[in-house]
Amino acid sequence: MEPEIDLLAFDQGTITAPAGCGKTHLIAHALSRHAGRKPVLVLTHTNAGVAALRGRLERAQVATSAYRLATIDGWAMRLLTLFPRRSGHDPEILTLSQARQHYPAIRIAARGLLMTGHINDVLAATYDRLIVDEYQDCSVVQHEIVANASAALRTCVLGDPLQAIFNFAGPTADWEAQVKPQFPDAGELATPWRWINVGEEAFGRWLLEMRHLLQARGAVDLRTAPANVSWVQLDGVNDHRLRLGAGSTRPSVADGRVLIMADSTNPDAQRNFAGQIPGGVVVENVDMRDLVAFGENFDLASPTIVEHVISFAGSVMTNVGAAAMIQRLVTLRSGRARIAPTGAEEVALRFAEAPSYAAAADLLSVINSQGGVRAHRPAILRGAYDMLKACRGRDGVTPADAATAVRERSRLVGRPLATRTVGSTLLLKGLEADVAVILNPSVMDHRHLYVAMTRGARQLIVCSSTPIITPA
Amino acid sequence: MARIRHIEIKNFRCIQQLAWVPSAGINCLIGPGDAGKSSILDAIDFCLGARRSLTFTDADFYRLNVTNPIVITATVGELDDDLKSMETYGTYLRSFNAATGVVEDEPEAQAETVLSVRLSVGSDLDPVWTLVSDRAETAGQSRFLTWADRAQLAPNRVGGLADHNLAWRRGSVLNRLSDERPEMAAALADAARNARATFGDLADAQLGGTLRIVEATAQSLGIIIGEGLKAMLDTHSVSFSGGTIALHGADGVPLRALGIGSTRLLLAGLQRQAAQKATVVLIDELEHGLEPHRILRLLTSIGAKDAAPPLQAFITSHSPVAIRELRGDQLFVVRNIGGRHEARTVGTADDVQGTIRLYPEAFLAPSIVVCEGASEVGLLRGMDLYRSALGEQSITAAGIAWVDAKGIAQVYGRASAFQRLGYRVAVLRDDDVQPEAAEEAAFLANGGAVFKWRDGCALEDEMFRCLSDAAVGSLLERAVELLDADLVDDHIRSASNGQHTFAACRVGLSLQTRETLGKAARSKKGSWFKSVTRMEEAARDIVFPNLATADEIFRNTISDIKQWIFRGA
Repeated sequence: MEPEIDLLAFDQGTITAPAGCGKTHLIAHALSRHAGRKPVLVLTHTNAGVAALRGRLERAQVATSAYRLATIDGWAMRLLTLFPRRSGHDPEILTLSQARQHYPAIRIAARGLLMTGHINDVLAATYDRLIVDEYQDCSVVQHEIVANASAALRTCVLGDPLQAIFNFAGPTADWEAQVKPQFPDAGELATPWRWINVGEEAFGRWLLEMRHLLQARGAVDLRTAPANVSWVQLDGVNDHRLRLGAGSTRPSVADGRVLIMADSTNPDAQRNFAGQIPGGVVVENVDMRDLVAFGENFDLASPTIVEHVISFAGSVMTNVGAAAMIQRLVTLRSGRARIAPTGAEEVALRFAEAPSYAAAADLLSVINSQGGVRAHRPAILRGAYDMLKACRGRDGVTPADAATAVRERSRLVGRPLATRTVGSTLLLKGLEADVAVILNPSVMDHRHLYVAMTRGARQLIVCSSTPIITPA
Repeated sequence: MARIRHIEIKNFRCIQQLAWVPSAGINCLIGPGDAGKSSILDAIDFCLGARRSLTFTDADFYRLNVTNPIVITATVGELDDDLKSMETYGTYLRSFNAATGVVEDEPEAQAETVLSVRLSVGSDLDPVWTLVSDRAETAGQSRFLTWADRAQLAPNRVGGLADHNLAWRRGSVLNRLSDERPEMAAALADAARNARATFGDLADAQLGGTLRIVEATAQSLGIIIGEGLKAMLDTHSVSFSGGTIALHGADGVPLRALGIGSTRLLLAGLQRQAAQKATVVLIDELEHGLEPHRILRLLTSIGAKDAAPPLQAFITSHSPVAIRELRGDQLFVVRNIGGRHEARTVGTADDVQGTIRLYPEAFLAPSIVVCEGASEVGLLRGMDLYRSALGEQSITAAGIAWVDAKGIAQVYGRASAFQRLGYRVAVLRDDDVQPEAAEEAAFLANGGAVFKWRDGCALEDEMFRCLSDAAVGSLLERAVELLDADLVDDHIRSASNGQHTFAACRVGLSLQTRETLGKAARSKKGSWFKSVTRMEEAARDIVFPNLATADEIFRNTISDIKQWIFRGA
């Protein structure tokens, strides 16, 4: 299928791409037609974004020689590594030992390097052109990096200002006031492919209508929506139960998946919620804070190591009854127990007798296999297994280092999507499923609301006390 | 396309050190023998050539001192995108500033992006090629060009490798002309099998005796080789390798059998065709095997006359014909100054360009006498002929060339141009008109020598003043032969306002008559000896044979000139 805009036809351009309108397909299609000797440089924001895009390009069978894929920050670091004197940065910033200060410094140094024009001919010799995805997430400095690079490279930027909900790299560049003046408007995608592809074009068209409404800060009236959209009316009494019901909705298709947008400010509530709905899983933040904490506090020599592992198990799996289990162990170890230890308790006792990384993994595994127990934070649990495995190696890696290494590796691979995933719009942006459930639209601004509404291809369920959703 | 922007050579053969910014087009290296011209070509070839191995000996080290490694660094610009790719060579890209001739470690906006290729050879004689980059070195990284890029950058040497270049071999110019390649494996394998079959048992008949002896010996030693030993074509000897396909003329004679000159001309022409892909052409002894008109053709074919040079060529030459055809910015004089080599551009100043056209051979001599006019040139030539006749060492054999400045005004322009290029220069001038004192002083201060006639005298004045009566008589006779008696008399009368006559001068000479004769000989209406030939013959026949009887001032001047020329040699 031929995209409506030819990405390769623009030497400098901005393409506005509403959610689900085939932006990635547009990129893949352009790259598959690209036949020059030099690759196209494709930049995006996050490592997960790179992984997702790489997956899409591989599925579309785009020759890997046709493109180079990187994050803007990763590419900036590469430039600084290659041309240290011209950029004149403090080499320390490339260590990322203080990421909070170092990333901004890297961006500023890369912007400076590109602004001087020293490497313009090198860029032109290396890449055929530049495509930047998810441009709405560009901070002002990142935008200036791309703008300076465009002096040497034909550049097309793609994104959707209405999905600009990231600002971790500083304030984002204003689409109308900064982006378009730099990269002239090359059009807006207007075919809701995500919905057309599953036979729900009307739903997709309605979402595009709502997009215009939201862009103008208007309110969404759920009563005018097509049948794909359901309103779960909250009554102020049974709200939690009603939300659980909405979150437990079965997709209309086999193997269908559900994305549940919860309050971004309350991760504990998200985890709680995931634990209470069938098959619910939490999507984790890239910093995997709880895994790192588990690693940092993991000390085989500690007298409370068993408690540490069991508490961790309780935090990533439902129905573990960690506190009770810890209590039972105390009883068992004092010999006062009247009931014989269960299988899990036996493993825990053995681990307490002779702590080892392997035994810790066994303990987690046996807890997980108990009846009624389910990992609602599988990413963290998987990470813990990987961490323990790395520690078992002969090199004697500390658990803290192993946990960090596991986290860094997971940054580079996409997040596998479970049947029912709970998270914030920030974490679920870029993901798509069959059903989207919004638990609390009243705290969302127009952008978050748009992102949340467009996650499901077949169905949207909104839990709200009123049918009129006014962006916060 | 690629061009060498900067060359640095250390401890290679006779060159202890050379740093040179060559021109983007023709670089014709001239200078006295053993100045290191060919070593520079070899250095470029070794450094940039696509060789898997290269054999060095102790003799390749400066003064055989292997403790100082050979280091040849060629910085290459006008790079293809492949070579400028950040992904492949990012850490190695550097910049070259054409205005300052400085190579810096990272690309720069106002400068050209370049790569520096380095060949180092230590006392183990093992050549090591690397890309030069300070930042890579700091990071402990090291790499070299990919083989494909190396082949791309490899210079083409016109000359010795005719066999190589006139066949489809690795790196041969034919392979650079287009991407067509002979597909021969199957056809040749078939041919080989046929050859074996055809040859068959033919050998048996001729080698029967030998075969029987081998058989008998083997039997006596108990080695079982079976009955009926055979002599057949060895499969290995009929294998075909790269370069099996070569160019042949219509008569089936391989083109490599062409004469040296034709081969070189053809190859140079092909180089030009392949300039899109080829990079640098090396031609040692440009004139080798070529008639003058073909030298011209060769130079033209590599773009010597093009405003935008199609390729970069490094040439050595000892041919005035080649030099005359080149511009001053295509000529470089190679000098060895106390171990430090220099390649100085001859330059394109007007007087230099004129000198190249008129006296190309001067650039090939180590020492140059800049003469004020034709008479002085004639005098030197006459002196040379006179010495040769006596069996004495000739002036030209002493490495002296002369240049006619065509007037006192041009003398120091030419002389200092040569001086700047490192030539040993002397000026031979009249003193009837004085040059700019400052110019002459500067020339002297830079080590130049000035020879002139006594105060206020031109050469003719000097001759008629210093020579014996008999010799002056001979000069007068020569003047009459060349002009006629009446005209000579006319000149004498008008030079003396009617005071002296030809007849009177024949009878007796005074200082006044000698002065008058000097003046008359330079008469504006028709000077007696003012041409190279006339003065040459007068000097050969009259001046030098009578030198012993000339006055002391003249003898001293001539003696000084000789001393400078022969420098104690």
